[in-house]
Amino acid sequence: MNNEYAISVNNVGKTYRSKDGHDNTVLKNLDFHVKPGEFVSIVGQSGSGKTTLLKTISGLQELTEGEIRVKGRLISEGLEDIAMVFQAPVLLPWRNNIDNVLLPLEFRGTRTDESRRYAQELLEMVGLGGKATRYSYELSGGMQQRVAICRALVSHPELLLMDEPFGALDAMTRDSMNFEIQRIWQSTGCSVLFVTHSIPEAVWLGDRVVVVGDRPGRIVADISIDFPRPRNKEHRFSAAFSDYVTEIESHIGVTAGIS
Amino acid sequence: MTTSEISSDDVRRSAPEAMLVGQKPRRRRLGRESVAAGAKAVAGLIGIFALWQVLVVVLDPPEFLLVGPISAFAELLERPGYFASNTFITLQEALAGFALGTALGVLCGAALHYSTTVRSFLYPALIAIDTIPKVALAPLFIVWFGFGFESKAFVAMAIAFFPLVINTYDGLRSVPHELQELARINKASRWKKMTKIEFIYAIPAIFSGAKISISLAVGGAVVGEFIAGSQGLGYVILLANSQVDLPSMFAAFIVLAVIALALFFIVDRAGRKLFPWKNHSR
Ligand SMILES: Nc1ncnc2c1ncn2[C@@H]1O[C@H](COP(=O)(O)OP(=O)(O)OP(=O)(O)O)[C@@H](O)[C@H]1O
Ligand SMILES: [Mg+2]
Repeated sequence: MNNEYAISVNNVGKTYRSKDGHDNTVLKNLDFHVKPGEFVSIVGQSGSGKTTLLKTISGLQELTEGEIRVKGRLISEGLEDIAMVFQAPVLLPWRNNIDNVLLPLEFRGTRTDESRRYAQELLEMVGLGGKATRYSYELSGGMQQRVAICRALVSHPELLLMDEPFGALDAMTRDSMNFEIQRIWQSTGCSVLFVTHSIPEAVWLGDRVVVVGDRPGRIVADISIDFPRPRNKEHRFSAAFSDYVTEIESHIGVTAGIS
Repeated sequence: MTTSEISSDDVRRSAPEAMLVGQKPRRRRLGRESVAAGAKAVAGLIGIFALWQVLVVVLDPPEFLLVGPISAFAELLERPGYFASNTFITLQEALAGFALGTALGVLCGAALHYSTTVRSFLYPALIAIDTIPKVALAPLFIVWFGFGFESKAFVAMAIAFFPLVINTYDGLRSVPHELQELARINKASRWKKMTKIEFIYAIPAIFSGAKISISLAVGGAVVGEFIAGSQGLGYVILLANSQVDLPSMFAAFIVLAVIALALFFIVDRAGRKLFPWKNHSR
């Protein structure tokens, strides 16, 4: 039954233990599931444990309670086909863009002659086909983040984890990146967990928006967004859209009041 | 033109880890700028020499206290072979010490980073040893390695070593955690992580250490020659001292400054040529 889900997070808890024995429970009794191909946005106050959640799912941090399954397999059995996009692009400045995209395959030892063509295709998909042999310092911040997204996609992940990937971009670039990530996600069919501080961005992109409350992090709301795909600018200005935004804001506000 | 300006602006604004992605090698402007900078540096040097000469002329100190640059240069021209052969000796000692110190320093820095055992046992000890003025060790090296070339090279090495340990360690440690995570998510072996990310990432920091070390190594060699030398620029200075031959002493100072500066620039240039993505003179 678990196998139906791309990710199932079951009763997960995470406590950081500092060296002086002080415990910091960041996540508690977290339960949620992501269907294959689903796009789930995650919002919550700063410090509520969103990054920690992504890190436990990717296996970078160990759980202290519960279990996480990716496609039915426990993550402790080894990392699944997961990729991650960080807030900063962190490209390697000594590699050109296409070689940056290929880095994960070199890590995995699965780079073939075919890989280069696929990397080129990915760069073309994000509109950077002509920049393959350029270096990151020749690109704008938005372009660099697109290269980082290609780097995440090159290993054909079934699960894409994004931690505030557009947080450092200006509003206009951010909007166009939203369109782009919707298009990319639809063409690859992977499941996405997308952490953001922007509630409109979360609503516009997500099939669902999960609100994480803080101290300790738990799910305080899980809201389905019923807009058809592909979404466009009109949705952003509809009454239903602002209702979603208001609803989510109230959930974040309520938790802030308690803590 | 304008697009490149906009993009470099974006880069700076949007990348908090700008040290990784944001630095734009200023290759296009380098030509004109470096010529201008070089001209200013030369003008500054000439200015200092002129001031020095003027002071000597005006104050007219006795020759056993201070001589002007003109006498120093005259001395150089009078005995070029003497200065060249002694410079060559000092240069060899300094370079041998620098090479050895660099190799050991990089190895030690890497060991500190990769092995918690090494770190917990050796890091405090290294810091403690680092606080000893290395020149104070020179007599010990004479005892161990004799009066010849080796003892001077080892003094140079002892001084050149520490900046490289610290810089290598810092460089490896400053690899952004995102890159570490990227490697882990993609199940990279330890070796791949080192060779594809960490070592290359640390190289500019290693070069900044090397830039400090190369000048220190020259000083180390000279100190070695002070203590037990029969040749080299340190010996030239001592000999000039005993003979109250100030022109010869100042000539040696000038040569020392020139070789230390030249070596510094060679290391700096090599770093910039090899790794143009980063202006590593932090
Ligand atoms: N490696 C760690 N060791 C100890 N405590 C940690 C660690 N990482 C995070 N924390 C703590 O866990 C809590 C949640 O941090 P986390 O980074 O997951 O929050 P976040 O929701 O991603 O915040 P933001 O929106 O600001 O990115 C914080 O109180 C933080 O101090
Ligand atoms: Mg975070």
